Amino acid sequence: MASKTRMREKEEAEKNLDGTKSRLGGNSAGPRQNSTPTLSLLSNITTMAALPTMRQLGCLRALLKTQEAVQPQIGRRFISSIYSQRPERVPLPPNLPKQFLSQLPERMQPENGPKPVKVYPPPPSARTACKDPVASVTDSQMTVLDPKGDRKALFDYRRNARSVKPGDIVRVTFKNGDPFNGVVLSIKLRGIDTSVLLRNELTRVGVEMSVKIFNPNIQSVEIVQRAMRKPRRARLFYMRSRKHDRRSVENVVAAYIRQKRAFLGGNKR
Amino acid sequence: MSPRLAGKLLQLSSSVRAREQSLLPLIPIREFGIRSLNEPKPSRFNVAANLPVLESSTTAALLRKANSLPLRTGAIATKKGMTAIFDPESGKRTACTVLQLDRVEVVSHKTRQKHGYYAVQVGAGWKHPSNMTKSLLGHFAANGLSPKRHVYEFRVKSEEGLLPIGESIYANWFQEGQFIDTKSNTKGKGFAGVMKRHGFGGQDRSHGVSLKHRSMGSSGPGQGGGSRVYPGKKMAGNMGNTQNTVQNLRILKVDRDTGVVVVSGHVSGPKGCVVRIQDAVKKPWPEVAPAAEAEAVTV
Repeated sequence: MASKTRMREKEEAEKNLDGTKSRLGGNSAGPRQNSTPTLSLLSNITTMAALPTMRQLGCLRALLKTQEAVQPQIGRRFISSIYSQRPERVPLPPNLPKQFLSQLPERMQPENGPKPVKVYPPPPSARTACKDPVASVTDSQMTVLDPKGDRKALFDYRRNARSVKPGDIVRVTFKNGDPFNGVVLSIKLRGIDTSVLLRNELTRVGVEMSVKIFNPNIQSVEIVQRAMRKPRRARLFYMRSRKHDRRSVENVVAAYIRQKRAFLGGNKR
Repeated sequence: MSPRLAGKLLQLSSSVRAREQSLLPLIPIREFGIRSLNEPKPSRFNVAANLPVLESSTTAALLRKANSLPLRTGAIATKKGMTAIFDPESGKRTACTVLQLDRVEVVSHKTRQKHGYYAVQVGAGWKHPSNMTKSLLGHFAANGLSPKRHVYEFRVKSEEGLLPIGESIYANWFQEGQFIDTKSNTKGKGFAGVMKRHGFGGQDRSHGVSLKHRSMGSSGPGQGGGSRVYPGKKMAGNMGNTQNTVQNLRILKVDRDTGVVVVSGHVSGPKGCVVRIQDAVKKPWPEVAPAAEAEAVTV
């Protein structure tokens, strides 16, 4: 029935827009209203809202939507957040009778509290006693092998201006009597492991020898001839190429020995 | 015909039974303890008093190891660098590695009874207690020791090798001239190809080879070999930073106060790495006085 009445009302509303007042009056008292009165009223309001003259009753529409109304949003979801102040810890009341302890959770039992671990101090450190063990081993060797530091100064080309330099011709004599002459190609400064690389030509074959200068088997090291001019490199490996090869230094060394012998011999006589 | 009960009485009896069931639990209750449902069976193995030890047992494993386990503990050292030592008489040069022992102390023991083997847990260095877990702090504090940076254990043959807890191990624990084995991690090389990692030959520079000059080639046979790559196939991968043992290094120099131990030759790993040193397994054990006497001599 209700749907039927609504249909009819709609038709009427379309037919006579100007005669709405009389229709409303007729509606309230009319014989067609045999369905529930509230329903018919609702239907009336919905249809009336479309009509400009009935807009005054549109305010009643809010009453229909009471169930759908949205609750006002609450800004905070939780009572406390990471930004809120931490609550102060409430200590247990002093002289708490023993029978109440069982009510506390296990972690709050007096015997389960945090126990400090005793930390013992470390023994004296060998690391601080000897900061550079490699240097200490090297130095103890130096005191035996080069007590005056002459050999060190002779090859310390970074600090000593009178030292052997790359490009010099050097004569090394070993304790067993063998000499080795050669041009200094490079000097490796490595503390007790310092070595020089000497190059010569023996029986028309290029020969190189790396000499550890602190080796106790070395009797003497003599500078035979200084480099003609200061080489522009620290390592003269280009002298291995045919173009730059110094070839044999034997004649230079032989001249040096002759001169030296004459000098010493003259002194002796 | 047997006499029948009246219908009323029948109903009564059923109600009584229902009450009984509700009173007694449905699950059977054991008397006490846990009893096996199966009968005990005699052992399948030959169990008797004078039988030889089973090869797969811990006892047999310890017996096998008896000759290769050191008699005394080792020490934790740090690699400091390399240099050389000249013999003043012969002039012979020996390349050597300088190690340093720093606050090495015995932390705890592993025993046959409790752990199945004998070992000495040794700690070295010092670590700030705030950087250590409380459980580990307690482990050190229980024996009155300071927190240790490095902790390793050294296996020993028997109970006699267990140096007392809290005892310090100084450089003179080792004697000049004795042989040791060193264990340390090698230098890490990162992800390396097969040529660098396993020494593969690589492939041709030319002859039609393109973009594959350093790759490994085939990874195994095809259909005849099962059409799969065998486990352990050498391939490219992470190289280095694995433990390496260098055996039979001679001790050249020892200094108790500075903790310096100089060993001949090289030790794996970069400068500053942790090196574990112990008596060489493949040389006769060094003749040393028992631990207590040695300590008395030094002090």
